[in-house]
Amino acid sequence: MLKKILLLPMAFLLFSCEDVIEVDTPSGEPLLIVDALIKIDISSPSQLVSVRVGLTSTYFGEVPVTSLEQVTITNVDMESTFANPNTLILLETQPGIYEAVKDTSFFTSGELVFQLSHNGRQYFARTHYIPTVPIDDIQKGDGSLFGEDDTEVIVRFTDVAEREDFYIFDFDFNEFLVTEDTFYQGQEFEFSYFYDRDLEAGKEATIRIWGADEGFYNYMNKLIQQGGELMGPFATPAATVRGNVFDVTGLDNVDIFDNVDRPEAFALGYFAVVQEYTSQIEF
Amino acid sequence: MLSFLRVLSCILCLLLTSPTIAQQKFTLSGSVTEAASNETLIGVTIVVPELKTGVTTNEYGFYSLTLPEGQYTLRISYLGYQDVVNSITFDSDQKINFKLAELVEQLEEVVVSDDLKRIDIREPQMSVSTLDIRTIKKIPVVLGEADVIKALLLLPGITNAGEGASGFNVRGGSVDQNLILLDEATIFNASHLFGFFSVFNPDAIKDIKLFKGGIPSRYGGRVSSVLEIFQKEGNSNEFRMSGGIGAVASRLLAEGPIVKDRAAFLVGGRASYAHLFLPLFDNDNSAYFFDLNTKLNYRINEKNNIFLSGYFGRDVFSISESFQNTYGNSVFNFRWNHLFSDKLFTNLSLIYSDYYYGLELDFVGFRWNSGIQNFNLKYDLKHYVGEDLQINYGLNNIYYRFNPGKIEPNDADSGILAEQLIQKYANESAAYIDVQQNVTDHLSVEYGLRLSHFIRLGQDEINVYENNEPVFFDPFLLIYQEADPIGIVTPGRSESLATFTNLEPRISASFAFGPDTSVKASYTRLTQYLHLLSNTSSPTPLDVWTPSGPFVKPQLLDQYALGYFRNFSDDAYTLETEVFYKDIQNRIDYIDGANLIANNAIEQVILNGHARAYGLEILLRKNDGRLQGWLAYTLSRSEQRTPGRTPKSDNGRSNMETGINLGEWYFTPYDKTHDIALFGSFELNKKWDFNANFIFQTGQPTNYPIGQFEFQGLTVPYYGLRNKERLPDYHRFDIGATLTPKEKEGRKWRSEWVFSIYNLYSRRNAASINFRQNQDTGVNEAIRTSIFGIIPAVTYNFKF
Repeated sequence: MLKKILLLPMAFLLFSCEDVIEVDTPSGEPLLIVDALIKIDISSPSQLVSVRVGLTSTYFGEVPVTSLEQVTITNVDMESTFANPNTLILLETQPGIYEAVKDTSFFTSGELVFQLSHNGRQYFARTHYIPTVPIDDIQKGDGSLFGEDDTEVIVRFTDVAEREDFYIFDFDFNEFLVTEDTFYQGQEFEFSYFYDRDLEAGKEATIRIWGADEGFYNYMNKLIQQGGELMGPFATPAATVRGNVFDVTGLDNVDIFDNVDRPEAFALGYFAVVQEYTSQIEF
Repeated sequence: MLSFLRVLSCILCLLLTSPTIAQQKFTLSGSVTEAASNETLIGVTIVVPELKTGVTTNEYGFYSLTLPEGQYTLRISYLGYQDVVNSITFDSDQKINFKLAELVEQLEEVVVSDDLKRIDIREPQMSVSTLDIRTIKKIPVVLGEADVIKALLLLPGITNAGEGASGFNVRGGSVDQNLILLDEATIFNASHLFGFFSVFNPDAIKDIKLFKGGIPSRYGGRVSSVLEIFQKEGNSNEFRMSGGIGAVASRLLAEGPIVKDRAAFLVGGRASYAHLFLPLFDNDNSAYFFDLNTKLNYRINEKNNIFLSGYFGRDVFSISESFQNTYGNSVFNFRWNHLFSDKLFTNLSLIYSDYYYGLELDFVGFRWNSGIQNFNLKYDLKHYVGEDLQINYGLNNIYYRFNPGKIEPNDADSGILAEQLIQKYANESAAYIDVQQNVTDHLSVEYGLRLSHFIRLGQDEINVYENNEPVFFDPFLLIYQEADPIGIVTPGRSESLATFTNLEPRISASFAFGPDTSVKASYTRLTQYLHLLSNTSSPTPLDVWTPSGPFVKPQLLDQYALGYFRNFSDDAYTLETEVFYKDIQNRIDYIDGANLIANNAIEQVILNGHARAYGLEILLRKNDGRLQGWLAYTLSRSEQRTPGRTPKSDNGRSNMETGINLGEWYFTPYDKTHDIALFGSFELNKKWDFNANFIFQTGQPTNYPIGQFEFQGLTVPYYGLRNKERLPDYHRFDIGATLTPKEKEGRKWRSEWVFSIYNLYSRRNAASINFRQNQDTGVNEAIRTSIFGIIPAVTYNFKF
């Protein structure tokens, strides 16, 4: 976030000269895409978890859905009983969407392992639940940063002292922001977010705050950078954004110890289990 | 150290055993100045045709020539000035100060036959780019603001990462690998307005020299190039003013004597007009820059001169009340020239320079500032031993203080906590010797050695890591991550965290095949101890410098260059061709998604990589007649890579890593396969001259996505290996004209109008192509950002 803001004057100098052009983009081997962000509303006794999968094609092409042979989440630290097994099996509810319902407590403690099979290959990821803090207040502002048409929202939340926190804000309309508490440890912190457009009066938005560990924070940071505005000569080098879902097929610790010699052995996307708070705002 | 002394003694042996003829010799020394202003002239050649030898004046206008007894002709010549030919009898040591008169004031004729940029065939120095400040002022540039760095980009081997990019890249090197010296003081950021203009006010500049290779041993500390700029000293003859009114900025410069012929001052200022440049801004916002150049010199006596010089420049941006940003360089230095004898010239410099970056963000509630300061003490001796031998040697010590950032709440309600990121300290010292020797009538060599020593001094806190590895590699996810420190130590400021000593040999040789043709070759080793933390295509003003230390190694360069040089058609044309190969070890690279700002543990995101560049450069100049100009062509490649670190045994098996970009070579953002620049200047008559540029460059490397994916509704382009694609080729054509109205009799006022049209055919050159989802339609788009369309401009310059 900081970098983008610090480069604002540059953005001004560049703004007026953008146009849409035709570009032939190259294509690569299709890769599995896994969106397995499990958002936990702690006030609810059970959670509906939903995982979305797809395949990559070219940048300007469609994202084909795909189907999985199996997809499960296991709490490896939980005692498994017949009545309450420690593995949750997700089932396809719509093409490319796999869902299941489970008690909240299943998610909030212990190591969670995510496994899936696709086209005969096994993928794996693990995580644990990351809590967050509620949004204390959300207000519409009248300031501007990018230009006259901006829409400002002022967000206030209180950081937890003595804990290293990473936060991800979903500002709706596919706009996200990441921040970490180094410079406001334990403080009540208020900041403004600017939508680079005029949101018409009466329009509603749902603003969400998610917890994150450092890995997920870094991941979201890279996604925001690559999915959003890159600013000319001040763009950072593009790179494959690797998440935490990787291919474990054939990892036998006999011949294959790691994925160093097979860099294509991963899936795009991320598996994370995070606490979520939401707030509504009307512009 | 011991080996250094051994080499030194070898050099001395070599010198002492060179054949001496028992004939009495006498020394002629003095300075060369411009007649009208008493301004000393740098690089004036003084040739003795009878002996086929000569000398050039140094940075302070001093020369010394020792010849056997006899009568000789001296021909003193300097570009743009009338030659002086003198017959001098060497029968005693003498002091003669020559004064040269500017050609334009003397000649009615337009065609100037003596104004020839002849290449010095015999001089071993190669890979040097020079541009006359008058040529720089003629080159059509964007918005008419004459610019030293933009002019240099028209010469071979010098590029930048595109329009609006800051700094310049020399022979495939990065921007932070250029040592930029203004009156011997280091300038850390040479750009105004994010790179649209350079910080050097052309009115205040006397001399510009860019070393791309064959860098003499008196320079060190950066691995790509040395850009040495000297400011004018000030007119000690009469009070003069000059200035200009341009589309972006206006300039005013005053100079004059304090004590006639002995002491002079110079004050120059330049400022931009905020509201005209960025019409997007309403009254709440502004963006402007200014520079202030000051200089005082005092000629105490024939043997002692002192100079005080200063530079202060700032860029200021503010966007309503939410965003305020200030940055710039300041430089102050004191220099003392002392002549120990007519053969031994010395200069002592005391230099302070800093770079400051400050920012206030009201909507987040913080104030931020960062910067770098350095104190530099330099002592340089130039020993004019004999007609065929000159030895330069000296010492240099620089103390650095790095402030990576200080964050403060900007008001009482802000949730931001004040924090000073850990400041870093270092000391760099060097000793050098450089010998210029004419071995035979055909062979001249320059060889030298620089011994550099760097101490990373203690700081308040430093992290300790397991296995001393601050970067952790996940062998399953194949990503580099920040390792968690296992402890923190608090070394005192007097302790050293790391020390580095490097021996940097330099050698260049020239072999002349006749009066007009020579072949030159050089080898250069250079060490760079400071690194600009920047993972963008071109540096930004907020990037901070960091010293080498326990986790960051100094960059080491080896450069080889070979060239063929020729003057032909009675010096009307000159041809310079060179090939070069560069190899840089320990070029720092960053893990994907590295955050470089406000990072107290920068070692956690850095890996040591490798860079290389090679190419061919051709420069053909036409120096004669009404039409003058040059054609520059560069064919080159610039790449870097960061392989996985050395596998080490852990649990009985080796840990492999993929490296950054899977350890493969990738193009740097300033790799341009073909780079062609054509500049022509046509002098129609005394009133009008016309200038034009044409530039063609292979599009710079970039990335196109090989696919897309969606995560939580965010559509993200998915990229393969780095910089596999290229932007469309870059080309543009600029024209300019200078109108010099007829001087009025008896009036000192002289003026000129400079008209220019940048990008005449309004090519929309892509500065970048970005991929994103349209917010309204949800469709993926490729967005071309182009910076300058056709831009006409008028500048009015005057002097009196």
